[in-house]
Amino acid sequence: MAEGNKATRDAGGFRFKVRGPREFYGGLVLIGIAILAIWASRDLAGSHGFAFGPGTAPRMFAVLLVLIGGAIAISGLLVDGPPIEKFAYKGPAFVVSAILLFACMIRGISLEYIGLPISIPSFGLVISTFVAFMVSIMASREKRWFEAVLAACGMTLFCVVLFVYALALPFQLWPSFF
Amino acid sequence: MTDLFANLWLGFSVAAHPYNIGFCLLGALVGTLVGVLPGVGTVATVAMLLPITFGLPPVGALIMLAGIYYGAQYGGSTTSVLVNIPGEATSVVTCLDGHQMARQGRAGAALAIAAIGSFFAGCVATVLVAALGVPLTSVALLFGPAEYFSLMILGLIFAVVLAKGSVPKAIAMIVLGLLLSMIGSDLETGAGRMTFDIPELSDGIGFANVAMGVFGFAEIIRNLEMSQESRDILDSKIKGLMPTRQDLIDCSGPIVRGTILGSLLGILPGGGAVVASFAAYTFEKRISKHPERFGRGAIEGVAAPESANNAAAQTSFIPLLTLGIPPNAVMALMVGAMTIHGIVPGPQVMTKQPELFWGMIASMWLGNLMLVIINLPLVGLWVSLLRVPYRILFPSIIVFCCIGIYSINNSPTDVIIAAVFGVFGYWLSKHDFEPAPLVLAFVLGPLMEENLRRAMLIARGDASVFLTRPISAVLLAISFILLAIAMLPMIRKRREEVFVEE
Repeated sequence: MAEGNKATRDAGGFRFKVRGPREFYGGLVLIGIAILAIWASRDLAGSHGFAFGPGTAPRMFAVLLVLIGGAIAISGLLVDGPPIEKFAYKGPAFVVSAILLFACMIRGISLEYIGLPISIPSFGLVISTFVAFMVSIMASREKRWFEAVLAACGMTLFCVVLFVYALALPFQLWPSFF
Repeated sequence: MTDLFANLWLGFSVAAHPYNIGFCLLGALVGTLVGVLPGVGTVATVAMLLPITFGLPPVGALIMLAGIYYGAQYGGSTTSVLVNIPGEATSVVTCLDGHQMARQGRAGAALAIAAIGSFFAGCVATVLVAALGVPLTSVALLFGPAEYFSLMILGLIFAVVLAKGSVPKAIAMIVLGLLLSMIGSDLETGAGRMTFDIPELSDGIGFANVAMGVFGFAEIIRNLEMSQESRDILDSKIKGLMPTRQDLIDCSGPIVRGTILGSLLGILPGGGAVVASFAAYTFEKRISKHPERFGRGAIEGVAAPESANNAAAQTSFIPLLTLGIPPNAVMALMVGAMTIHGIVPGPQVMTKQPELFWGMIASMWLGNLMLVIINLPLVGLWVSLLRVPYRILFPSIIVFCCIGIYSINNSPTDVIIAAVFGVFGYWLSKHDFEPAPLVLAFVLGPLMEENLRRAMLIARGDASVFLTRPISAVLLAISFILLAIAMLPMIRKRREEVFVEE
């Protein structure tokens, strides 16, 4: 702690200087998540006599998370730490899109309940797997299209044989609108 | 003692059933295969292959999953020695001396010693699991809700103490994991908690989705960022598999010490194979008469950590099978697998389903034997697997994970949740947060809350019950002492030193 006091003095009173950005912003996000959890469990009944209500434990741990998140954020103000590494956007974006595309295509999904007039029909396992493979391969820096298509076909075939024939899991293979 | 043999006999008669031998072999093979691939960790492997076991009978499914787990430990060591890339976190230290041995043309001896050490550790650990199973189960019967709660606190504190990096951050991950585990319907009242009115969240977040997200997808995103380093695969034929007499004499001590250390660390909740291998290596280096040989191809530096990680991998089944508490993330997945098959892990498994309990234990020994037999002749095959470029490998893993997650509940939402956790896991890694404590807490969360609520109800709202019941008080005291030790900056520095080689 002595080190911390010295640091604030050097900074000249209460001027904020983020010394450990990984800690500072990490702590802030944790506090944010905890506040979201407290807000989300606001309607849940608390303790009733000796018995815990459904809301007791979530609020208890959310408050604890606020405290720990706060402590981590404050440590980010007091102790020097490494800078935050740059986030890559392209790779994660393709990986996530591939996963989301798979999720939407495998059984079809209707986005009406979140207010979008879109509904995606069910494409079945074969097409979903192939598309997800091709989209995720774009996350890589080197692109070899011929090899990619070949690998996608191979992987699709492997998955169909493994999951549908060998494991006999209930999958729809082809699009429903054919 | 006669009971032990009768039980083991029952176990072997179950495990030796042709189907179960098949599952065991398949699990060990698949585990080795995935263990060899760098960038796919054990947790992700088990999570990924979980759906494959759905259609199997419960005994077969668990035998296969266990096989995958220790197969991955073996596979990891193969790549460490030959390519200097640890396939698994548990074989990071094996790289240090194993790869040096390979460069000196002694790859065969390194691999053989790793296999022999692992096999020996596996045999000892199997007997240990069998011997400790019965007494620990009777201890479990003395446990009430307060004791269970305190024991889980101890487990989580262990996870904090043994995690790399800062203690407050590990605690934050634990609390976050507990909080996430509470999403969904309340156990007692059925009220939807923190579901944001999304119907798919009313059943809670599936454990496999979280694990696959933070371990599988996040790992891929991180790997894509790193420059594609060329893998220096040793092309020369591996000859002279058998270690010399002198090697065997040199290694007998390290293997025995590694096994003991690994077995102890494996039983402790929150520990596990990674810590065991580091600890065994450091220990050997410290007691060695020639510590300068370590890092330059000392065969002891391969034997000790490989024995330790295998012993720990196996003894970590003890808390799961006797107390129903998973000591690490892989065991947490086993809980998931057992639940899917309608088995509640805990002391009642041994009395109600003895054939499952003992069959699994016996299959561990058989699995280890199979690994020695299949691993050494197949080394060439495993190495050729490494030639598959990552640009083909990672889309395959993504697709495989997607299908796997989807097939657990036939739910597209689960896939989306896993994607969200993938991004979150990537963010966590940028801020030096460890995902392992989060996942462990996520699994223990519902159990902990249930026991906390029951304990408080029985004690009529008096929280001092955790301190007045002796077993509970001792457990909490140990947790407190451990935490205090971890918080002491002096020791924190030492902790970092242990992990510095990573």
